[in-house]
Amino acid sequence: MTTLHQAPTRGDSTGPARPPAPRRMRQTTRRAITAWLFLSPALVVLAVFMLYPMIQAGYLSLTNYNLIRAAEWVGLDNYVELFADPAFWNAFWNTVLYAAVVTPITVVLALALAVFLDRQFVGRAFVRTSIFLPFIVSLGIIAIAWAFLMDPNVGLLSYWLSQAGIVSSQGVLSDPDWAMPAVMFVGVWKSVGFFMVIYLAGLQSIPGELREAARLDGAGAWQRFRHVTLPLLSNQTMLVSVMALIATLQAFDQIYVMTHGGPFFRTETLVMLIYREGFQELRFGYGAAISWVLLVFVFLLSMIQYLFFQRRQVRF
Amino acid sequence: MRNHHGTVGSRFPHRRSTLIATAVVATVTTLAVSGCAGQGAQQNTENDPNAKVTLSFWNGFTGPDGPALQQVVDDFNASQDRITVETNIMPWDTLYSKVLTAAAGNDGPDIVAMSAGRIPQYADQGLFQPLDDYYENADFDSDALAQSAVDASMFDGENYGVPVNIATMLMYYNKDLFTAAGLDPEKPPTTWDEFAAMVPKLTVDDNGDGKPEQYAIALADHETVPMFQPFLWNAGGGLVSEDGKTSELASEGSLEALNFWVDLVKDQKASPVGLAGADADKLFTTGKAAIEIVGPWMTTGFEEAGLNFGLAPAFAGPADNVTLADVVSMSVPAKADETTKQAAYEFFAYWNSEEGQKTWAEGSGFPPTRADVSSQVTSNPYPAIFGDSSVIDNSQTLMPGIAAGTTINDTIFYPTLQKALNGEGTVDELFTAASEQVQAELDK
Repeated sequence: MTTLHQAPTRGDSTGPARPPAPRRMRQTTRRAITAWLFLSPALVVLAVFMLYPMIQAGYLSLTNYNLIRAAEWVGLDNYVELFADPAFWNAFWNTVLYAAVVTPITVVLALALAVFLDRQFVGRAFVRTSIFLPFIVSLGIIAIAWAFLMDPNVGLLSYWLSQAGIVSSQGVLSDPDWAMPAVMFVGVWKSVGFFMVIYLAGLQSIPGELREAARLDGAGAWQRFRHVTLPLLSNQTMLVSVMALIATLQAFDQIYVMTHGGPFFRTETLVMLIYREGFQELRFGYGAAISWVLLVFVFLLSMIQYLFFQRRQVRF
Repeated sequence: MRNHHGTVGSRFPHRRSTLIATAVVATVTTLAVSGCAGQGAQQNTENDPNAKVTLSFWNGFTGPDGPALQQVVDDFNASQDRITVETNIMPWDTLYSKVLTAAAGNDGPDIVAMSAGRIPQYADQGLFQPLDDYYENADFDSDALAQSAVDASMFDGENYGVPVNIATMLMYYNKDLFTAAGLDPEKPPTTWDEFAAMVPKLTVDDNGDGKPEQYAIALADHETVPMFQPFLWNAGGGLVSEDGKTSELASEGSLEALNFWVDLVKDQKASPVGLAGADADKLFTTGKAAIEIVGPWMTTGFEEAGLNFGLAPAFAGPADNVTLADVVSMSVPAKADETTKQAAYEFFAYWNSEEGQKTWAEGSGFPPTRADVSSQVTSNPYPAIFGDSSVIDNSQTLMPGIAAGTTINDTIFYPTLQKALNGEGTVDELFTAASEQVQAELDK
């Protein structure tokens, strides 16, 4: 969804030394072939592992497939059932809540950390690495570690909180009010480092003279950030926001490990529901229908984001 | 800065058509490849009694019972040279999520062990084949098996499994905690009311922060061997009727039991709320719960933790004194051919032979699947206790033969119980609504 950028071309100069038309055509064609050859490995992988499963899932969503028996065509029955299913709407609103909280927090925190860690200070590399580290560890493993820390009886975190006077008679992960914040926290903690690195790269690409000029004009630190740094980071902000939103709408791993969607479906996201319907209830057709609804939803939101940020795009 | 917008119009269609062409080619190729693979599977309906057979046996005995299982398998492999059983031991969760995809492909297991309560769901979908001819063959001596273990894998009038084990639940109680609370360590509670009277002594909140340091009992309300469900039986209720046609969740007995236990747990803090099965085990292991009602697989862990525990039948309810029996059965995928199935039968017969069951019971602590072996098990005291006829005869399995059983239990009963324990409504309201959902599942 983010691949709509055009590759740079050099064939559109309008100067007097313009080559004759047939030659230009050949050159364009040759360049196109070269480009397609470079793209083809990725396209083949995308087609086999993304496009084909997507089309297959679209077909399955119109059947009652259960992985064992041959699929029977049921038309739009799955979709009709889905929109009347309270479990779907519960998972849908949980997903929206998760994305609406985690995406902005992750993006703002990543930006703040990047700005802070762009300065020189002793131990900077250590702090940067510490924040990035969770990203390269499997989310499943991280989730096991956090579930252990949050355990009400043997967890270190619960112990510290109880020392500070905060006592919950049950673990946060089984508490209906706290389970969602807990999995959101782990989601933010896991991905903020990666987005921070993208922002750091962005910060380093901003020419120093721009901020220098603003300083000479008498802009304060906040004004320099607000009117120079932030607008010049909008490419990164677009990338980070789109990626973060897509990732949060697909939240699954830490929820599967830490709460399994519980207590009583309070943390069940759409992907958790797809898993439950598919692999536990053996309703792959229905699960495929939910995944298509999710796909369309993600696509629409990404398009809106793209259009929103496109006007703010910057080039150096 | 370079402006490329002038070229967009001319390039886009070209790009799109090529993309579509690539996609079509890739799709067709993939379909062709998968189509070819599908033709390899041909069902052989003739048994070849001389063929060398290797059977892949999937099961979830990851605990201290794993080595005992492997021992029986090794003994079987050594007892003859035609059939080799290869075990593939993985956590039950993993097994349940992998078995479908593996069985749909061609390199899946030949024998699958799973909780008998789950078999109807898979059998209903066509994953397994009926094994009734196993029980008809006199050579396999299946008359010696405990009837409840055999019946546990019935679905729609046919039997889809052969028992691996039958595990009954007994009450473990921590004698040291009883003594410390001023209770007689040789007199565990025998009725609900006796237990309720002990709760104020056994649930201890010394520092008064509202979170007890010790609980009277560890009751898990999700991802666990069923702990609350037998309470419903013992008040004359249940989840569904015996014929699997009617919900009983809102019956008088069920609501009486649920009100009693939700009140004890929520208001008197007899047990923490929100425990998974593993949490409950951990609580009892670390001496933070005085009682746990659970199966024989915990004996090893509790002994290793140095607990001074006693075993007794769980306290009786107002109507009955039934305990849960958890049966694990072995099934054969529908794809297996006759030779494979007959080879699996040889293994099932060995597993359930006197020799096989003696090895299994001694190594695992599970009661043997056949009563005539109990007296031969001498090196381990627990199989005789859990397999005592007074326990086995008073046990029943949860929702046997009901295809929607797993769904009812995991997606209706537990979430509703959690709501009640978290005070999200009264027991009567919540379970009356849940009962309608159960009925809807049964009517599907």
